[in-house]
Amino acid sequence: MSQYIADLALLCGVFIILAVSLNLINGICGQFSLGHAGFWAVGAYSAAAYSVYFAPPILDSLNLLIACGIGFISAALAGVLIGVPCLRLRGDYLAIATLGFGEIIRIFIMNMDSIGGPRGFTGIPKWSNLFWVYLWVVITIVFVVNLLRGTHGRAIISIREDEIAADSMGIYTFKYKTMAFVIGAGFAGVAGALFAHDSQFLHPNGFTFMWSVIILLMIILGGLGSVTGSVIGAVILTILPELLRFFGDTVSEWRMVIYSLLLIILMLWRPGGIFGKHEISLPFFGKKEKA
Amino acid sequence: MSEETTFFFYDLATYLLNGITQGSVYALVALGYTMVYGIIKLINFAHGEFYMIGAFVGFYCIAAGMPLWMAFPCAMIGSGLVAITVERIVYRPIRYAGRIPALITALGTSLLFQYAGQNIIGADPKAFPKVTDFENQTYKFGELYISTNQIVIISTTFILMVFLYWLVNHTRTGKAMRATSFDKNAAELMGIDTNKIISFTFFLGASLAGAAGVLVGMYYNSVEPMMGLIPGLKAFVAAVLGGIGIIPGAVLGGLVLGIAENLVVGFWVSTYRDAIAFGILILILLFKPSGLLGKNTKEKV
Amino acid sequence: MDTILETKNLTMRFGGLVAVNNFSLKLGKTDLVGVIGPNGAGKTTIFNMITGIYEPTEGDVLLDGKSLIGDHVALITQNGICRTFQNIRLFKDLTVLDNIRLAGHFRMKYGVLASIFRTKKFHAEEARLKEEAMELLKIFKLESKANHLAKNLPYGEQRRLEIARALATKPKVLLLDEPAAGMNPNETKELTGLIRWVRDHFQIAILLIEHDMKLVMEVCEKIYVVDHGTQIAFGNPSEIQNNPKVVEAYLGVQDEEQK
Repeated sequence: MSQYIADLALLCGVFIILAVSLNLINGICGQFSLGHAGFWAVGAYSAAAYSVYFAPPILDSLNLLIACGIGFISAALAGVLIGVPCLRLRGDYLAIATLGFGEIIRIFIMNMDSIGGPRGFTGIPKWSNLFWVYLWVVITIVFVVNLLRGTHGRAIISIREDEIAADSMGIYTFKYKTMAFVIGAGFAGVAGALFAHDSQFLHPNGFTFMWSVIILLMIILGGLGSVTGSVIGAVILTILPELLRFFGDTVSEWRMVIYSLLLIILMLWRPGGIFGKHEISLPFFGKKEKA
Repeated sequence: MSEETTFFFYDLATYLLNGITQGSVYALVALGYTMVYGIIKLINFAHGEFYMIGAFVGFYCIAAGMPLWMAFPCAMIGSGLVAITVERIVYRPIRYAGRIPALITALGTSLLFQYAGQNIIGADPKAFPKVTDFENQTYKFGELYISTNQIVIISTTFILMVFLYWLVNHTRTGKAMRATSFDKNAAELMGIDTNKIISFTFFLGASLAGAAGVLVGMYYNSVEPMMGLIPGLKAFVAAVLGGIGIIPGAVLGGLVLGIAENLVVGFWVSTYRDAIAFGILILILLFKPSGLLGKNTKEKV
Repeated sequence: MDTILETKNLTMRFGGLVAVNNFSLKLGKTDLVGVIGPNGAGKTTIFNMITGIYEPTEGDVLLDGKSLIGDHVALITQNGICRTFQNIRLFKDLTVLDNIRLAGHFRMKYGVLASIFRTKKFHAEEARLKEEAMELLKIFKLESKANHLAKNLPYGEQRRLEIARALATKPKVLLLDEPAAGMNPNETKELTGLIRWVRDHFQIAILLIEHDMKLVMEVCEKIYVVDHGTQIAFGNPSEIQNNPKVVEAYLGVQDEEQK
């Protein structure tokens, strides 16, 4: 049982990173991406490829750190590749284009034999543990929160508020859109690396569009734009399926139906999610500003 | 002509024929996407599910013993009614909340149908019952084979499109649809009940998708709850390719996409089949976001 | 006259429609000039061309003698032209202070990593930015509302904040797009004084588009009148008021509307 709780807690950590990073793109910068599972996959597969094929015999934790770095960089590169052309598009068109890219990434992985292709990628060492996952959770959150409390973060938020006004205030909006997109993609890549070294097995079907939607649901549930909300949303939606199991297999099978209903109901009745754009501040992140 | 070139041309003809067949299906589904987008600027993600629902209504009607000529309109009406209900319950309340909330709602609706379908009907594909005797006959022209099914699909699509063309361009309802999509407020001031027109547009679009669902069920001999996902997305690509909101654009986009897919798969690789549509989508969004038949517009500041 | 902003034969065509035709203007370093004309005369289009939102079909925009054609909107602002919008485009869900701070963004001298690791430079730069912002808010009598969300301000204060935000970019030329739109007579009167004061205090050039004739006549030194995208008159307020062409094209229309 305690192992079960530990596994679940670890998964929570992975999804917190995914949710916070997607929130940077969707909620904070206002660029609606539906391809987050794609970046997750890029990070997971590239990190796993490192540890299966290239990892030198050094400390596991050091190797994991390198794997996470590789996950970040490769996903961020994918973010540049996808972001630079797509971020010129607005709103719903951007959503569809990122969805398309997310699927293309998956199809490419499916066709790469060296990383398992349609059979799945096996033999990944089990290097992740609660400590490393939550260290990255803290890094991600501190990074995003500190970014937001500086001029670059404000510039990112201004794009969500009014892109034309932001341009007119001398802000290079495209640069900041790309920055948010690439950082978000990078952290999703880290989540992928940690996930790969926990599950030890990767399959392209584990990164379908459905997962992009689930991560999206997490940040909508918590409140688009709120980092606190993303954390809570990620925890709730990671634990919920397990809770549903207590009600029997039938209820558990209806998980996705419940999720989709939740998505619709949230949009109809509480589009701001639980937290809206608000944050719970901890002294840890620095004092709340007084003017 | 050498033997090799002869074969090449037969191959080419076969792929083109397959492409047109598949493209007609994309076009039928894309029409609904484009009409709904044209009228309320919503990317109706759930449109692929109307196609799936049409296929299942057709499947159950035929399984119950109904003849095809009755099952076909039943499927069209069935998915049309579902679409009207969805529009009334889900889309209407969110219509003025902005494009992204509407898009998310549509996404939720789409997933709801897929997974509810899986849980209620079962995820396994069901074999579509054999409808007619001549169904699987093939006709041979040299080395080119044409199946009855292909003829049925292409001709049905053609008939439905002519009907749609007439409806949109030569009836009062069609005029009201065009007026609503051009300027909703002005249409309302002219006494058009735009809610009714929007409902009708959903019905019309979904029934075309439903028709496509039955045709595909017959063609591939199988139906399943997830069958709407990929064709739905591809039909969306087709709509964007032709110029979203433009009815002839959807037809052109569908055919181009169907042919492009079959040519690439036939002459090159098959494993990237589903990536082609998304690749085309991204190219068109980057280089001509208004689509092949669209006009470029500027954002008002 | 020491010219700061000049437009030469600006022309904008949308498809077959000519929105602005051959519009030329000269603005001195501390001029306060108005552009008036009936609805749809192409006034906002002129602003959009000057600020780089639209690229003119023909013609040139010169700031300090340098052409701005093809420059990015943000760069034009950084070089010294800033504007307000007809339909108020504040960052609604951000605080009043953040609205002002964003206008000082491009002058901030620390990188992303400095803000992640909270370096000395970060703190110093942020402190400077905030001080400047609060000073500006004090001038505009908004300092007590620094932590309010912009969307919660009353309408008149939103207009004022937008002008303050534009000034926070430290422009050489300030463009005001119908600053009195939606204001009551009292607020308009206050605004009239404010506009003149801003020019005198900051020593910048102001170009304004306005529907409110009274405001324009009272505040502007020179007035351009456009109709159907073409300049039909230019002069000081009294000349404009007595110009028969203007009375016909603009005032005449308004009289009819008022009946």
